[in-house]
Amino acid sequence: MNENTQAALPHDGRNPSGARPVVPRTNEGAPARLVTIFGSLGPNREKRVHYIFDRGVPEYGEIVHSTDGALESITPEVPAAAWYERELHDQYGIEIVGHPDLRPLIFHDNWLDEVYPMIDPVDDVPWSNREYRFLQVQGEGVAEVAVGPIHAGIIEPGHFRFSVVGDTILHLELRHFYTHKGTEKLFEGRAMEDGAMLAESVSGDNCFAHAVCYSQAVEAACAIDVPPRALGVRRIGLELERLACHISDIGGLCTDVGFGVPAAYAARLKESLLRAASQCCGTRYWRGIAIPGGLRFDLDSGKVAALTQVVARAHRDFSDIARLILQTPSIQDRFETAGILRQKAARDLAIVGPVARASGIDLDVRRDHAYGGYGQLEIPVTHYGDVMARARIRIAEAKVSAQLIQEEGKSLSEGSVFTPFVSQDGVQGFSAIESPRGELCYWIEARGGLLTRCHVKSPSFQNWPAMPFAATGNIIADFPMINKSFSLSYSGCDR
Amino acid sequence: MIFDVIEKSLGQPNRLIPVDGLLGDCDGSRMPDILADRLTAAIAQTVVDICPTTALRIEDYEGRRCVRLSYGQCIGCGKCIEFGGGAVVTAKQFTRCGVAKERTVRRWDIDSRTEITASTLPPDAARMQIHSLLQRALNIRQVDAGSCNGCEAEITALTNPYYDLERFGIHFVASPKHADMLLVTGPVTRNMADAVKSAYEAVPGPKLVVAVGACGCSAGIFAGGYAIIGAVDEVIPVDGYIPGCPPTPAMLVTGILEVLRRRVAK
Repeated sequence: MNENTQAALPHDGRNPSGARPVVPRTNEGAPARLVTIFGSLGPNREKRVHYIFDRGVPEYGEIVHSTDGALESITPEVPAAAWYERELHDQYGIEIVGHPDLRPLIFHDNWLDEVYPMIDPVDDVPWSNREYRFLQVQGEGVAEVAVGPIHAGIIEPGHFRFSVVGDTILHLELRHFYTHKGTEKLFEGRAMEDGAMLAESVSGDNCFAHAVCYSQAVEAACAIDVPPRALGVRRIGLELERLACHISDIGGLCTDVGFGVPAAYAARLKESLLRAASQCCGTRYWRGIAIPGGLRFDLDSGKVAALTQVVARAHRDFSDIARLILQTPSIQDRFETAGILRQKAARDLAIVGPVARASGIDLDVRRDHAYGGYGQLEIPVTHYGDVMARARIRIAEAKVSAQLIQEEGKSLSEGSVFTPFVSQDGVQGFSAIESPRGELCYWIEARGGLLTRCHVKSPSFQNWPAMPFAATGNIIADFPMINKSFSLSYSGCDR
Repeated sequence: MIFDVIEKSLGQPNRLIPVDGLLGDCDGSRMPDILADRLTAAIAQTVVDICPTTALRIEDYEGRRCVRLSYGQCIGCGKCIEFGGGAVVTAKQFTRCGVAKERTVRRWDIDSRTEITASTLPPDAARMQIHSLLQRALNIRQVDAGSCNGCEAEITALTNPYYDLERFGIHFVASPKHADMLLVTGPVTRNMADAVKSAYEAVPGPKLVVAVGACGCSAGIFAGGYAIIGAVDEVIPVDGYIPGCPPTPAMLVTGILEVLRRRVAK
């Protein structure tokens, strides 16, 4: 790394090349939780691999490896690393020695072997027809059911390959990255100030979380202090996004079990929040508001107050209907014991967000790696790990978010909402926030004010590999509901 | 219990927005509009320079120097409104939804400070054929060709009690084989291109294709990415374009009805 480079994170260790990184331990001696792994190019175009871990302390820890060729896989010790190492292989052509499954992840049959978009210019890659082999489950009565990439509803594309006996799922293999748009590469060459609008398009329904997280990474890199009013407005936006997503997810779960009335009810509540947001800040999803340094413009305090009133009303209605939904016997019959994600699997795969908290993992970035002025928070956790647990967690979190919006609305400080800054040369910045789906991270590096690398760790990329563990043993007809209870973004995962 | 849920729901007021409140409404999309009389060469240059997607350009059109605004490329970031010195404002009405590609572009003559109005285009055959066959019934198959899911969220909102697309006799269906119209979002990615073509081929004729959102219309902010092919019309023929990032439900309703020529000019 360049001498001028500011280290955004404390380094747990650095290893010149070759060997595998030593997985750090928590104070209790357990392996630290893997946050993300990504590659970058150094000033002399040497390949570097960054490992970010959470050792159970407020500061995240980073290990950087320089490598010219092969790197030893940490997947056998840290199963959560599996997709990250495959992505590293696809993007940078780094050979991962000892990885149990190095099939292409983000590139499909149409891509060429040995074309690595993060190190080579990649205009007009010719079309190819490589072979991709799904894992085959063999035995008497085993059938394969292929679903997707285009699904039956208004949802994003992805492929599920079920191996079933009768109705029961024996094995599920995911094949995603249909919406891979090369977004991380598109960040490169952009001015640091202009990256937020691209971050908003990584996952559209969590666009404010992405914009804030990106902005925080730039703020960390350039040591910018964001004014308190801007932080307060950001917290309102973030909690509103969480509330809208959770309401929408509960409605979606009802849709997937054929319970149309509460689904329409939830859709109405979500719409009331979006319309109130539009009145308050001009866009329904808070697009184009957060930028590095604070906010692009201030929000009128009267309009914020009107928004908090709509939130209070929507949440009151939501908590009533949510209680009634969970008391409905046919809902209990469908939700309970369906799609159980055991805590062991969740820990091995370093699962984040509401899915983790429904499987007994007490983790929330807002509290554990505090950012953006969040104070004391109630974090609901339960250990059942089924669809019902994930529904209950979302309902409980919606309540916390609605309360936070009320408190923030009342205590919003006065003053400016933007700190002007001068972008510095050779900087790195890291930021993590609790998006509605869980821990979202941005890591940026810039030279001369232009981004040279932007890595997005989306909670969906982290959580998708857990889906097969929750689905196995269930009947295939319950899969849409189990899938919805995870509520993952395809675009956020695929980028 | 199930009846408590229904009873609770019945107690809610009707939220349905009348159709006249939807057509042309673009609140929440931050689509820009240019006030021709305030346009200057300096403002034109400023807004063209800051536009992140080249939706705004300066070009020679029929020998006149003009600002070209391509709504299909606009992501509604609002920068031109912020720095446009009062000449660029947030549009109050936006009717260029579901129109042909040429109609998503507007031009203003910088020197004479007037908008250059284009001639109207004749309605095309498939649209009229579907309208005469189906009148008020239409089945839509939505296809995500690589979107960020912002457009999906808004298309899903079309079925909520505020917009209730079914009131027009329009349904979302599960299979392209049941569909009359494909509503395609997102820049078409390399990995989705074959699936999009297959879906198009599976729709029985006569069929309509509508490209939704800045990405569907022009690849939007993802233009030039190594993993995408581009706009929807680079892969399959498109009959109408609905700009916006994402287009609001009202813009989607306006666009879908426009494509159908529901409200056929009397």
